[in-house]
Amino acid sequence: MGNLLDPRTKLIMAIFYTILVVASKGLYWLLPEWGALIAFILVIGKGRDYIYLLRFSLPMTLFFGGVTWWTAGMESGLRAALTLITLVSVFFVFFQTTAPEDLGNSLVKIGLPYPVAFVFSTSLQFVPVIGRKAKTVLDAQRSRGIPMEPGWSALRHYPAFLGPLLIQAFQLAEELAAAMEARGFGHPGRTFYKDYRMDKADWSAIALSLLLLIACLVRQYIWN
Amino acid sequence: MVRSPSLIELETVRYAYRKNGADRVLHNIDLKIRPDEYLLVCGASGSGKSTLCRTFNGLIPHFFGGSLQGDIRIAGIPTTEQSVGELFARLGMVFQNPEAQLFNRSVEQEIAFGLESIGLERSEMRKRIAETAAAAGIEDLLPQNPNELSGGQQQIVSIAAVLALRPQIIILDEPYANLDPVNVRRVRTALKKIHQSGIGIIISEHRLALTVADAERMVVLHQGRIVLDGPPETILRQDIESYGLELPLAVAVGRRLGLAKLPLEIDALIPLLPEKTAGDSVPAVSPAFEQSALAAVLKVDRISFHINGRSILRDISFAVNAGECLALVGANGAGKTTLLKHLNGLIRPTRGCVTVMNRPTQRLKVSQLARYVGVAFQNPNSQFFKLTVWDEIVVGAQALKCYDESWIRELVQLFELEPLLMRAPYRLSEGEKKRVAFAAALAARPVILALDEPTAGQDLFFRRSLGKLLAQLQQRGQAVLLITQDLSFAEQYAWRWLLLADGEIVADGLPGQVMRNQAAMERAHLEPTDRFRLFDREKT
Repeated sequence: MGNLLDPRTKLIMAIFYTILVVASKGLYWLLPEWGALIAFILVIGKGRDYIYLLRFSLPMTLFFGGVTWWTAGMESGLRAALTLITLVSVFFVFFQTTAPEDLGNSLVKIGLPYPVAFVFSTSLQFVPVIGRKAKTVLDAQRSRGIPMEPGWSALRHYPAFLGPLLIQAFQLAEELAAAMEARGFGHPGRTFYKDYRMDKADWSAIALSLLLLIACLVRQYIWN
Repeated sequence: MVRSPSLIELETVRYAYRKNGADRVLHNIDLKIRPDEYLLVCGASGSGKSTLCRTFNGLIPHFFGGSLQGDIRIAGIPTTEQSVGELFARLGMVFQNPEAQLFNRSVEQEIAFGLESIGLERSEMRKRIAETAAAAGIEDLLPQNPNELSGGQQQIVSIAAVLALRPQIIILDEPYANLDPVNVRRVRTALKKIHQSGIGIIISEHRLALTVADAERMVVLHQGRIVLDGPPETILRQDIESYGLELPLAVAVGRRLGLAKLPLEIDALIPLLPEKTAGDSVPAVSPAFEQSALAAVLKVDRISFHINGRSILRDISFAVNAGECLALVGANGAGKTTLLKHLNGLIRPTRGCVTVMNRPTQRLKVSQLARYVGVAFQNPNSQFFKLTVWDEIVVGAQALKCYDESWIRELVQLFELEPLLMRAPYRLSEGEKKRVAFAAALAARPVILALDEPTAGQDLFFRRSLGKLLAQLQQRGQAVLLITQDLSFAEQYAWRWLLLADGEIVADGLPGQVMRNQAAMERAHLEPTDRFRLFDREKT
């Protein structure tokens, strides 16, 4: 699924979808837009991850929708909540189908500096590593009686968590930098193993989504 | 035999990480290395092994800066005139920590990274990746994320990523540090094959038993100076223990017997020995206490642990008595650390129960249990946050409201921390950090002390002082649980072993009894110690 289209094509399509969602005038438009995304998510078999994401973003959606409802009325509130959840879903679909590394490298081809792309994909690679380190620090401190359970008392002991974690993160960063240096990072004349090429499928996909976007906008704003 | 000219040449090299030249790490190093050697750089912790290796590929001075004097030449050209970018493909470097070394999202991209750096064509990259993966036997790992591999696989991938560059020499900084015996064997075999194909190997390591049989030349570093340099056969006849290096058992026995050719591995020694004589059995490690006289301080009763539908621990039972030193041994991934976390409540069992001093622990919080079970995890850096060693030791006891100054003073004396008390924990050597962490784990006077891989990465000096400490703790009636895959240490200092394999205890008894149980040892992916094999040779 992920390799059918070039990452740049997917990025452009995601931008089109974002415009469509933000420009949508009412629930009649937003609901099918969200529905289409859900259907797609189910087709690519990511339903379980999606439910996890929804649970995670529910409080934010309720808060955002609630505030708008309170200040601008029920319909605006519902629309705000729905817009937010649909946008979150667009990003979800995009990142489920596009590896950050692919996105970064393909953007390098159209002028993004390589170090920027590298930092982007590598920092994501280190999220689980830092997560593991954080868990180890928590375990070590709790094991010697320093309370780390969430709550006010833990606030007092925050240095016990952040201190070792930060120092280890800096150490890791230095080791990483040395390892990158020793494998030629920054050496001029770098080539790329993966090829990113926009072919017919990409251009037709972009054209088709652009047409759809224009059609939807015209229907809502000119021929309504 | 025509000797190839040297590739790496160091002449009166002096180096300090600080710009002003203070705290010099290397002193007047003269060294020539040919491109086809298998060179072992060894020495105690802090002797300058890693620093020396970093001078070979230009990381020193280009990356680490500092103050460098003397000449370092690669193929006749000073490294000050070549960037790391010009050197890395010829002098590939594998670092100690796989976490920092593997930074791509797939193994395939990991191998491709260096090839991209030297600007290869795509078709050539594809060819080299396929070739290297086949040579290293990792074809099936190519699409995987390096984060999700085992320690042994990560090490092989790190080597493959360098090998694909077709270097003249591969430099490895303590490649066996985090590996269990089975993976050490895998990596050793891979390195031997690479060396046979004509690539030079430089390996820095202090555990000689893992390396001397493979190496052609040994360089011994002591406090930043080269004190010995030559073939292992010659070097191992010198007094290297005073440099913090432990003689491999086979070598020690060979020396004692006055053998003309020193055996470097136990396999080479055994055929040279006379037939066993009666009464020549495994000397029992004599326990300081009679076990029967003691009461159990900790009981683990039929615990099992499942997570995400996977069974990690199954039906585990054992007890630890006061004054006993028990070792929980097993390979990486056997479930040792998971089991350890059950003892102080960091993880709760799916079934079964843990009792401390006859109190079931289900309802006790981790912070309550910390008064009874002291744990020192493998990496002391994950707990230090105070500005002085003293504060670091007492912080747990203060949080638990059981701070007792006289006891802390006693600990400081026992662990010989007096001169370090006012220093910053982060500035200590790794061995000193470990001693501080052990003292901190005992600060609340727990009835049982659990040490997670206490000897990992530590040299002979540290191992000896830890051994002495364990003996003293036992005399005071302290129960100690060692969690380790360092069997030779566990054999010397633990009375009893629990052998863990795939989340089950597959053997329980005296170290000799456990190692004699071949089926269990195989299941646990462990090999008997040299000492055991030597004394028990008629049965093996």
